[in-house]
Amino acid sequence: MTQIFTVTELNQRIADRLENDPRLHDLWARGEVSNYVHHRSGHRYFTIKDQGSAISCVLFRGNGLSLNFELKDGKNVMVFGDVAVYRPQGRVQLVARAIRQDEGLGFRHQQLEALKKKLAAEGLFAQERKRPLPLYPERIGIVTSPQGAALRDVLRTLGSYPARVILSPAQVQGEGAEESVAGAIAALRGQADVIVVCRGGGSTEDLWCFNSEIVARAIFDCDVPVISAVGHETDVTIADFVADVRAATPTAAAKIAVPDVEQIKEDLRSAQVRIMRALWTALERKEERLEYLQQNISAKRMYSLSRDARQRLDYLSQSLDATQGRNMSDLQSRLEVAEGRLLAVGPRATLKRGYAIARTGKGLILQSHDAQPGEEIELILWKGKMRCRVLECRNDDEEAT
Amino acid sequence: MKKDGMGLEEALDSLEEIVQLLEEGKMTLEESLDLYEKGMTLVKLCNSRLESAQKRIECLTGELPPDLG
Repeated sequence: MTQIFTVTELNQRIADRLENDPRLHDLWARGEVSNYVHHRSGHRYFTIKDQGSAISCVLFRGNGLSLNFELKDGKNVMVFGDVAVYRPQGRVQLVARAIRQDEGLGFRHQQLEALKKKLAAEGLFAQERKRPLPLYPERIGIVTSPQGAALRDVLRTLGSYPARVILSPAQVQGEGAEESVAGAIAALRGQADVIVVCRGGGSTEDLWCFNSEIVARAIFDCDVPVISAVGHETDVTIADFVADVRAATPTAAAKIAVPDVEQIKEDLRSAQVRIMRALWTALERKEERLEYLQQNISAKRMYSLSRDARQRLDYLSQSLDATQGRNMSDLQSRLEVAEGRLLAVGPRATLKRGYAIARTGKGLILQSHDAQPGEEIELILWKGKMRCRVLECRNDDEEAT
Repeated sequence: MKKDGMGLEEALDSLEEIVQLLEEGKMTLEESLDLYEKGMTLVKLCNSRLESAQKRIECLTGELPPDLG
């Protein structure tokens, strides 16, 4: 497949490739300084070279502050940094983070390089061999000096994470340190879920035992993943290459080794909420079904109830009718009795007691002037009637006079 | 290896499993309640493990320095 790049695209692609390669990060390169320029911006530009080759280097102002010797052409140096691509010129360069004078270690460094090559060829540094760290280690092995600050840093950083911490003491510098460290690593076989091999900062000589073959092989032979943390960020040893994970410092190693307890607690809280919510949802679902079922039951019951009710209602209305009928006939008989009573107190009964009803052809005679003298009137008696003639009409007043 | 029953990792794993099962919601109510109880027990277990665990520092050879005991 043929692809045509623009120059920018090509440099971008080269940059992506180089700058994402972990093997081109955190590395040391040694050579002789040439073309040294200390720019007025504070940045320093130079080249380091050996017999066969050269590479551009840049030391930015911030990183140059810790420089403890005069950098100049012809100086033998070791440059620590990362490979990067200067895109405007498509130039591969080494971005230096630290520079050391290269003195006296020439032979040992050559030995070191030879050892690196040999171990790399054997696959001790292979990425495929790197093992993932356990998420929740219960036993954390630590190989370091019992007296060192590194151990305190690690213990402090492990914090409240619940794990057994197994210290495998080692002598981490001086004569016999290599064997001591290798032995301490081997002693943890079967005892830990993860091992931290660490020591605090020191001179290159102090850290040298971590560049030894015997330590490299001990780490390689470990039955569990190993985290290495030797010296400061800029110190990279063979132990770091072999370890499953390289940490910049002992503190960083401890952080990598265990999960954050607060995070776990947070996860537990959220798990609790999720469980309760899920159960609640389940309950609600079941409750809905239950309600639905209940409704079904109710509907059936309502149906039979209403059937009952109708029958009951029929019965009731029948008996109600009957009651009403009985009442009606009662009423009738009572009416008849009342009628009799009424009749009993009627005018006929009064007439029976000696009274009479007087009337003319125009109506009842209630006053003296309702009739004239000589006029014919009618008297209604309890039994029978009388025809009579009026002799005199007098008022009560006149009578009184 | 694990002297005292379920380890933290195992407990957290089963807890996650239970949460997922519950959230799928395919259980009967009975099973859901069972899982709920199991889940809560695990939460308690994990919490007590995180809370109570005294970090035990041991030394493979020799004595621990006094400041670490």
